[in-house]
Amino acid sequence: MNRLVNRRIRLFLAGLMIAFAGLVVRAVWLQGVRAASLSQLGQTQHREVVTVPADRGTIYDRTGVELGLGERATTVYANPMQITNPERAAVAVERTLGLDANRLYKTLGDRSRGFVYVERQADPAQADALRRMKLAGFGFYPEERRTYPQRSVAAQVLGYVGIDGTGLSGLELQYDRDLSGRAGQETVVKDPGGNVIDIQSQRPEVPGKAVYLTVDHSIQANAEEVLRETVHKWSAKSASAIVLDPRTGAILAMAVQPGYDANRYPSAPHDLQRNRTVTDTYEPGSTFKLITVAGALSEGLVSPSTRFTLPYQLHVADRVIHDAEKRGTVNYSVGQILAHSSNIGAITLAEMLGRTRLNDWIGRFGFGHTTGIDFPGESPGIVLPPEKWSGSTIGNVPIGQGIAVTPVQMAAAYAAIANGGVWSRPHLVDHVAGGARPSLHRHRLVSRRIADQLMLMLKDVVAEGTGQYAAIPGYQVAGKTGTAQKPDSRGGYATGRYVASFVGAVPASRPRLVVLVTVDEPRGAIFGGVVAAPAFQQIARFDLQYLEVPPDGAPGYRG
Amino acid sequence: MWIGVVAVLLAGVVATNVAVLRLNMKLDRLGQERADLKAQTATLSSQLSSAASAPLIQSMAAKRLGWVQATSDQTTYFTLHP
Repeated sequence: MNRLVNRRIRLFLAGLMIAFAGLVVRAVWLQGVRAASLSQLGQTQHREVVTVPADRGTIYDRTGVELGLGERATTVYANPMQITNPERAAVAVERTLGLDANRLYKTLGDRSRGFVYVERQADPAQADALRRMKLAGFGFYPEERRTYPQRSVAAQVLGYVGIDGTGLSGLELQYDRDLSGRAGQETVVKDPGGNVIDIQSQRPEVPGKAVYLTVDHSIQANAEEVLRETVHKWSAKSASAIVLDPRTGAILAMAVQPGYDANRYPSAPHDLQRNRTVTDTYEPGSTFKLITVAGALSEGLVSPSTRFTLPYQLHVADRVIHDAEKRGTVNYSVGQILAHSSNIGAITLAEMLGRTRLNDWIGRFGFGHTTGIDFPGESPGIVLPPEKWSGSTIGNVPIGQGIAVTPVQMAAAYAAIANGGVWSRPHLVDHVAGGARPSLHRHRLVSRRIADQLMLMLKDVVAEGTGQYAAIPGYQVAGKTGTAQKPDSRGGYATGRYVASFVGAVPASRPRLVVLVTVDEPRGAIFGGVVAAPAFQQIARFDLQYLEVPPDGAPGYRG
Repeated sequence: MWIGVVAVLLAGVVATNVAVLRLNMKLDRLGQERADLKAQTATLSSQLSSAASAPLIQSMAAKRLGWVQATSDQTTYFTLHP
């Protein structure tokens, strides 16, 4: 009997030992051989690396008003493999986020996919309502959504930000590095309920820097409103305007109409999204005569009082060029050539200069080169090198034909004359937060004496010449009108399609503003003095009052 | 005696761990609250910026009250001499 009991005990012990040995082997297998992979698997189940998005820097105007800033949004995603009832889920999403349930049902029911976006950058309150439903398979993470509180104001200048928070156009693109900052990262440990119970490592996010513009949202909005009315009044294709401070090159407004709401950039036509004042060129017409006159004066070939006998028309190579208005032979001073915008007078001066010197002056005023403005996609314009000039080119270029410039080039050239002959690089950004103000890029184009002479001539343009509708009560205005036929695709000029423009400085005795207005394809009237000069007057009049610029004692209103 | 000491020590360790766990969960909750408040601040900033926009106020003053912007010739400037 005892032997039987002992045998059973031994068997039991042997069984225990085998079981224990099995456990030891299993433990060695799990903790030795498979330790690394199991540890990793465990960590992925309760440890998570979370990206903490950096706030994109705010864009402010010169008065501190926000033009572009980040709002918190919630991105909703789903794992269709984990969704048990796609129909119920789709209806829930429709109720909370307002999306189409029928379309969502197909997406959420597609079990071949492990990840789908339900909505990027959804409204946080709506996303929270969905989160509270605790539907299996749905996930949420915070994202930043760019908003533009001033809506259409300066939309083309600001540009826009893509869905992933990267600047894609305008100043958002130009200053993307400063604005975007650096995302942070956290490694957290979560309990089975998804609650964070430990933060293992943390790299804080670095928010983007704020960017302060030279643009003033009131001046910008007013310029846009005036352009809107001008486009409507003349049934024009588009219009643009630049307001800048000639002393520094700081741009106070850069407006293009028709415009669009910057918050709805994806649905706005691409054509409307361009900042045409920088990216597009136009044939300037008579506003370009200032360069011809400046060259002739600076080379000492003429003085403002030098007189010329000018016929109505002139043969230049194979072309016959005449003045805009039918007249007999006249005897004009250089100042009168500018005041009456005489094509024949400007060509006469250009012939005295010759093609090489004229071309040098065109280059010196910055045409054919980018100005270096802090905006992406600037066009250098189109300037034909002298070796490619035909016999008739000397009859075109001095009057602003056969040459293409950007509005910002033209505004900067006039600003140089208004600033005593010193050119300042136009710029849109005053400074980036935490950084110093960038130094001004300036160089002298003409002597102060020549600049003063040109300003006197430009005052006559408004006082008694083609620009009388630009006159502002109480202020002396110096400016020039321009009317240019648009080129067609066959190398000639399109019938009935013109660009009307006016560019001027005010108050002329001590200029604080240079304003350029271009109107593309106006109907009913085509002349810069009729179409663009009144827009200049409205813009400048508002700005002078807004900036509290005292009058400089001009005679009464002539408009 | 030593069993009692070990028991107290173990209880202390457990209590400390629980406290750390609670603090971590509170930290997470506060972090989320901070993020929510930041989001609300950004939204309110945007709304404030829209509502306080000078062109909007100007347009409302013109439409509702019939006010018009003073022109440059309606403004008088004084030169003050020390």
